[in-house]
Amino acid sequence: MQFGTPTLSNSADAKSIRIVISSDAIDLSWHHCGTTSDFISEFFSKACDSDIDANDAHHSINYLINEILENAIKFRYTDDIVITGSLEMNSFEICITNTVNSDTAERFQEVLSELLSRDPGELLLEKIEQNAMDMSSGGSGLGLLTLMNDYDARLGWAFDKVPEQSQVRLATVAALTLS
Amino acid sequence: MEISTKEYRVWIEGTKIHYEGTMRLSGTDAYAPILSLMNDVLQSKPDEITLDLTELEFLNSSGINLLAKFTIEVRKQPDISIRVNGSKAVPWQSKSLKNLQRLHPALELTIS
Repeated sequence: MQFGTPTLSNSADAKSIRIVISSDAIDLSWHHCGTTSDFISEFFSKACDSDIDANDAHHSINYLINEILENAIKFRYTDDIVITGSLEMNSFEICITNTVNSDTAERFQEVLSELLSRDPGELLLEKIEQNAMDMSSGGSGLGLLTLMNDYDARLGWAFDKVPEQSQVRLATVAALTLS
Repeated sequence: MEISTKEYRVWIEGTKIHYEGTMRLSGTDAYAPILSLMNDVLQSKPDEITLDLTELEFLNSSGINLLAKFTIEVRKQPDISIRVNGSKAVPWQSKSLKNLQRLHPALELTIS
């Protein structure tokens, strides 16, 4: 099942990176979101052409990856998280795959259906107002809405059932036009 | 009053709340001590509150949610005005802080 546009268009000549966060090798925890997104954004901001604002690219890539990784770590079923990123001219693309259980996948699909059915700016404010009324609420989908509204990120999700198991492999694809 | 870690520092000077570093906490519960510090300033009923974010290099969406919740709390008290100071050198601020003004149009946002 797919939501948004989970396709990548950078060519094989793009500068690229592939990182596997192996849940067996490390005790995967929250701070790995930050250290991983710091590393990848540092890598690509140094690889940018000179007509791109490297500080802005560094920050936007960092925020984008951190938000998607936070979701991956928060909702993962124990398994590796694979990150592939590429940069070609001003087009930055990332694909983050992780495994979730089928209940989590269903709940996330409901969130995505809502996010994609509305104007992200309007929905962002609406969600913030809802969260403010319930002080314990963490805000489902707020990170994705800020990516869509504040960063003009193009996002897509593909859910594929793991054969003969109840888990689902989730690929989150995101693209940014750097300037 | 101050909350300080290796990654970030939040402290109060009068009615000004300063933020510094990188804040990527895991959600509402993790941000609760910071919200509590901010609410202490609000409960003292000052004429004006300033959030100085100029040194806050990174904030995740849970942190943006924290600023938004606080803005809505201030909005409920029309006698208290709020200023938010940001920096053009810190890209997230130009991208995301305008949302606070959309929540509370009287909020004075300066990004310099």
